[in-house]
Amino acid sequence: MQILAISPDSNERSQALAERLRARYRFLTDRDLTVTRRYGLVHARGGNKGQDVPRPTTVVIDRQGIVRWLSLADNIQVRPDPGDVARAVRGL
Amino acid sequence: MTRYWPAMLSVALSLGALAAYVSLLRAPVVRNHPALYLAAFALATAIAAIASWRAARWPNLAALVISAALLLVGGYFNFVLARIPTAATTLRVGEPAPDFTLPDAAGVPVVLTSFRNQTPVVLVFYRGYW
Repeated sequence: MQILAISPDSNERSQALAERLRARYRFLTDRDLTVTRRYGLVHARGGNKGQDVPRPTTVVIDRQGIVRWLSLADNIQVRPDPGDVARAVRGL
Repeated sequence: MTRYWPAMLSVALSLGALAAYVSLLRAPVVRNHPALYLAAFALATAIAAIASWRAARWPNLAALVISAALLLVGGYFNFVLARIPTAATTLRVGEPAPDFTLPDAAGVPVVLTSFRNQTPVVLVFYRGYW
């Protein structure tokens, strides 16, 4: 399984986070939200300075590139349970 | 002092729920159930309101002000500030994920379709530090 974490954060910030977490994550920078926008995952003016930010979303994609599981947040406090994500991946 | 135990209970419940939520944010079961802190604030408000109704003395009234203020602020945060408007996503379960190329933390371009026939992929969109 490959985890790709996508945010508008700069490469340096993402690298620092990756090292701190020692994660098998690869942190990708979508600086101007191009991909986030194409996926329809922009929370318009949701940032603390009124800027657009990504809507917290988790997507499980199988080996054929098909979306198999999707979690879209409707409250910024809520994230999917890691156990649910792991089960979705194991089911592939 | 002991006759003010409902007021003390109310304040302990309010501040305890706030402290527990903030300090346990990393636990999914706490973070994903913000209604729990609102329930604690509501219960604390009810206790303080009953105590104030039975004896309108300052410890009871102070407990009522503290718990009601936390209930209002917490409710406003949870139901207004933290809400994300549901915009239409292009993602559909059972349909292909649109391809993309994005630089990783080392600046190396990563192509989504390069994982095809290799391994499942989990995409995590997050808000970052802003």
